[in-house]
Amino acid sequence: MSSDAAAIHAVEVTINGERYERPALARQLLVHFLRDTLGLRGTHIGCDTGNCGACTVICDGRLTKSCMLLAAQADGCEITTVEGLAPARGDLTPLQAAFNAEHGVQCGYCTPGMLMSASFLLERNPNPSEHEIRRGLKGNICRCTGYENIVRAVQSAARAAAAATAKGNS
Amino acid sequence: MLLRAVEYVRPDSPVEAIAALRSSRHARVLAGGQSLVNVLKHRVAACELLVDISRIDELRFIDAGQDGSVRIGAATTYDELDRSSQLRASHPRVAEVASGTVDQQVRCRGTIGGNACYNDPASNFPPLLVALGATMRIESADGPREVDAEDFFFAPFETAVGTGELLHSIVLPPLSGRGVGHSSILLAQDSWALARACAVIEANGVVQDVRLVLGCVGPAPVRARAVEDRLRGAQLSAGAIEAAVPAAREGLTPVSDVHASAEYRLEMAVVVAQRALLQAAEHLSA
Amino acid sequence: MTDFTAPDAVVETIESVQQELGRWTGKSIPRKEDRRLLKGQGQFVDDAWMFRQGYVHFLRSPHGHANIRSIDTTKAEAVPGVYATMTGAEMAEQCEPFFRIAPDPAARIEEYPLALKARFQGDAVAVVLAETRELARDAAELIEVDYEPLPAVVDAVRAADPRSPVLHEEIGSNLAWHGIYDYGDIDWALENADHVVRIDRLHFHRFSSTPLECQGALVNWDPGTDQIEILSNIQFPMFATQVLGPSLGVGQDQLLWRYQDSGGAFGNKIAMYPQIAALALISRKAGRPAKWTEYRSEHMLSCGMGNERTFLDIEVPVMRDGTILGFRMRAFDDAGAYLHYEPLGAVIWSQVVPGCYRFKHVNVDYTETLTNKCPTVPNRGYSRLQHLWMIERLVDTVAHELEFDPVQLRKLNYVQPEDYPYETPNGCIYDSGDLPLTLDKALALIDYPSARERQRSVASSGAGKRIGIGIGSTLDSGTNNFGQARIINPDLPFSGNGEAATVRLDLYGEIFCTLGSSPTGQGHETTAAQVVADILGASPADVRVHAGFNKEHGAYVGFSGTYASQFAVTGINAAIGAARLLRAEIATVAAAALQCEGADIQLEAGVASYRGDGERAIPLIGIANLVYANNAELPPEVADGVSLNCRYVYRPPFQVPDPVTKRGNLTLTYAVQIHACVIELDEQTGQVRILDYGAVDDCGNRINPQIVEGQVHGATGLGVGAALYEAFNYSEAGQLLNASFYDYHAVTALDVPAIKTDHLESPSPFTPNGAKGMGEGGGAPLATICSAIQDALGPGAELVSDSHNPPERVWRLLRSTGARGVEVQTR
Repeated sequence: MSSDAAAIHAVEVTINGERYERPALARQLLVHFLRDTLGLRGTHIGCDTGNCGACTVICDGRLTKSCMLLAAQADGCEITTVEGLAPARGDLTPLQAAFNAEHGVQCGYCTPGMLMSASFLLERNPNPSEHEIRRGLKGNICRCTGYENIVRAVQSAARAAAAATAKGNS
Repeated sequence: MLLRAVEYVRPDSPVEAIAALRSSRHARVLAGGQSLVNVLKHRVAACELLVDISRIDELRFIDAGQDGSVRIGAATTYDELDRSSQLRASHPRVAEVASGTVDQQVRCRGTIGGNACYNDPASNFPPLLVALGATMRIESADGPREVDAEDFFFAPFETAVGTGELLHSIVLPPLSGRGVGHSSILLAQDSWALARACAVIEANGVVQDVRLVLGCVGPAPVRARAVEDRLRGAQLSAGAIEAAVPAAREGLTPVSDVHASAEYRLEMAVVVAQRALLQAAEHLSA
Repeated sequence: MTDFTAPDAVVETIESVQQELGRWTGKSIPRKEDRRLLKGQGQFVDDAWMFRQGYVHFLRSPHGHANIRSIDTTKAEAVPGVYATMTGAEMAEQCEPFFRIAPDPAARIEEYPLALKARFQGDAVAVVLAETRELARDAAELIEVDYEPLPAVVDAVRAADPRSPVLHEEIGSNLAWHGIYDYGDIDWALENADHVVRIDRLHFHRFSSTPLECQGALVNWDPGTDQIEILSNIQFPMFATQVLGPSLGVGQDQLLWRYQDSGGAFGNKIAMYPQIAALALISRKAGRPAKWTEYRSEHMLSCGMGNERTFLDIEVPVMRDGTILGFRMRAFDDAGAYLHYEPLGAVIWSQVVPGCYRFKHVNVDYTETLTNKCPTVPNRGYSRLQHLWMIERLVDTVAHELEFDPVQLRKLNYVQPEDYPYETPNGCIYDSGDLPLTLDKALALIDYPSARERQRSVASSGAGKRIGIGIGSTLDSGTNNFGQARIINPDLPFSGNGEAATVRLDLYGEIFCTLGSSPTGQGHETTAAQVVADILGASPADVRVHAGFNKEHGAYVGFSGTYASQFAVTGINAAIGAARLLRAEIATVAAAALQCEGADIQLEAGVASYRGDGERAIPLIGIANLVYANNAELPPEVADGVSLNCRYVYRPPFQVPDPVTKRGNLTLTYAVQIHACVIELDEQTGQVRILDYGAVDDCGNRINPQIVEGQVHGATGLGVGAALYEAFNYSEAGQLLNASFYDYHAVTALDVPAIKTDHLESPSPFTPNGAKGMGEGGGAPLATICSAIQDALGPGAELVSDSHNPPERVWRLLRSTGARGVEVQTR
């Protein structure tokens, strides 16, 4: 068995605009680094096979399940987590507000990862079809909602953004 | 789930990566990590050193040649393949397969090289690479060597890439009017495959050449030569395909598992073979 | 004959309560709890942390069945950073076995927090507490267990065979429970029916809802106070506390349960008490808080799974006009290796003996056995969805075999609107509904005539596809009468049900509410705020409902928790009751302050006034001031009579069922779900694709329609998953073949179809607010999808006899030329 002693890495990351530098064991997953080392507990863990997407963050522009990336791999990266979407005490983002309005949240456990995937999708494709939304969220398992209201929330956020853009252009 | 203690290095070049791989008996290449990290979490494989190649720029590229061929760096992600206009133009079905791989998160991290080297029997790329006649470029301390995709895949986790070696890139030859088809039977959408087939047809009314490769029915992709032989030289038609595909069963050794029996996989191999061939025929250039 | 007529006093209260609800109740206001959840500010169990805490790793048996010859923890204890290890034997010396619901012989099973013999793959045999999660797992790998593997039994029917391996030697067999439910006269019905339809076997498969957040707990046995603090997402803490107190030898006041947010439960998180007991004991040993967060693969192996049930020798008497008289059958339910909540499932199904139908003659020989599989736990639709699925299969089979139209046959046999309140053969009272209309609405959602047209055109197109149309009619029986436990074991001291809540006015006039429920995503903070706001003339925004469960600070009764589709009845009516008590106190204080009668006080927008006169009024802050800090201003008889801290217990009007006849009213409300779907079936591959899906729900008065619809969507999603994708399979040796989300395909956004919904509102006459519990659903998608597959297979096909239909199973049904599994005898 290898020992942890020789496997401590300095990890420097920028998360939601804030720079952190902390030691991490080579075997530590990014999700545990976020949750246990940095105390950013909005990113959740729902499985151990990279299927559920509860741990999804955006890392250097890539939608990433943080349970399938070592903390050491994220060294030097810029990461956005759910805590980076809206200010801790401020207004919800339009996407978050749409999840609230359309009842896209039940237990709330998949929600942070779901929001990261939906944000990523809308950034790439501001006007997705229902099928494109379902494809974009396929890596995020929700056991409460049957996905219906989550899909509606993303559709509603996309419509609101389009309306805001149209208004801005006129 | 937590990994066993392990060491980690992130080399800057293939040469450094190969040196690192040679430094430990239980070293493994960490590319996208979308399979390997899970294997390590479940502690079912020995590993002392992870050699992270995911940020080596020299391994991340999609280069289209003048002749319609395309060279893909091993650490290129599915998402990069999906979004490559060059690949969409030269090998649209390859981009399509990439875009149907698992989910967006896996597409953003998982690599074509990792997919090939993992060689899961249910995986999507190995049969496609064999059908397309891809060439795999492997680097080692002794220099580069090239292996036909057909000779690359041995068994799960076992490929032509030996200890201390690194898959560098994959060359897809030009399609030159050949039609490509792929068909899968999945347990659920973009999910676990029970049967896969990839077909490449060259024809001008008569089948000049055909390659039909099956997945999920053996430890590595299987070329359905009996079907190919029946079709080669035949007038291309749905009827000819239908008559030829039952021969796909020959020599297959699918396994039974919790998702499907060997019998079902065998029968489905025939179904996907037919569908892939029909699709390839549809996509022949005039 | 059960007396189901509500007493006059109850009726009067019901009418007056419903008059008071309406401004906010019944509106789809957005949920109050969403904000923190959307910002990643929820507090889930793994987010909890205590000073000096250690991490727990359970070592679990790799064998399905094995004796443990010895366990050596020496190497694990030598790892630096390991605080303590414990084995089953050590724990058994320090606690009493858990109490059993089962009667003899299964009552004699002695179960401790860790196993002394491995009875399923995943049975916990030792535990490590260490400084980090990594170290705990590393050290657990160093524990040496000498197993003697034993033959396993993984089939409930075979487990009943005396020649099968026995799991618990102390009871001498694998029998968890056996009983005969006999209502009406099935022999007469079978003799006098025009047709008897016989079905060999139906099998309802094992699956679970696998909440996205696994189980977990952080337990600290405080050496100073001997209080045990338990932060855990267990969903029925008041059941666990009744098990753990006697086992650990501590008083109920020493067990301090709490949590804030829970990432879903669906029944699966009810039976966590063995793990919590183990955490308490190792916490005491190490003198440290012990934290355990279940891994997903650990959850799949050992958390608990839904009831698998096999129905044998089903006989259905049918009259010439299609009237179905009832059924006879044998049922074998698979309890798995331990009875953590079982054998309650052996009676819970009888809340819905005839399903949606007017069946009069029913005979069920029911056996529950122990097998070398993960223990069964309640799973959304607990024990009823198996039975309801069987009934829908039976009705569809009658329609197919005797060539009745499946819609008309259902309508003929449904309980009719004018029959309510309807007494079932075993004395349960269906409260209200309109099943034929509900079915019509479901058929309208999928445009039934067009779907039939499409079925014909696809069939004649030769494209290798078939269309199938399915119907599933189910019930969600809500608010248990715990007296039904006595049908399982007459010695159990349980009956009735209830829930508690407090509504208080705090020092500066703040309204806040505590609940006894333990929500897991159902929006209790919002719906409770809606009703309290209505009673107190406030806005939901002004009512703070404290999140989660807290035994020390909240309200509770022995039934407190979230399960069995009851919050809309028990929890909400407790909140309504407490708010009404508070309103009366406010009126008393205001009347004293405003020199008028309490009856003249109006409460609106935070102000109590004399008949709405803004000049003669006192704000809530003034009321609170008088009671909390200015009581010399109040007449003593007023000051002594109010606390502004009002606790109310809602108690449904139940009687104790009769354990001998197995009769009684077992649940208070019956919500209805009728689903309809259109599928496309690929003849070459057996793959099923859902083309259209409609779900109609009738749960009486809805407190928040959007939340109700969300529950319908969720129950539908899980049901679709179970019908097509999700199953737990074991090898003959007891190895679980899908122990992770790799192999257990939890449905994704691509697998669940768009869900169309509609509703009826048939108020329950038995609940003060007219609501019915509805969160579980009745597993309608399983019935609906099986019905659609059978429809696509067409006349003369083999029976769709399994609730789980992955591609290969359907492919085999398409090709079947052998026994069809069904026969008809006509006189």
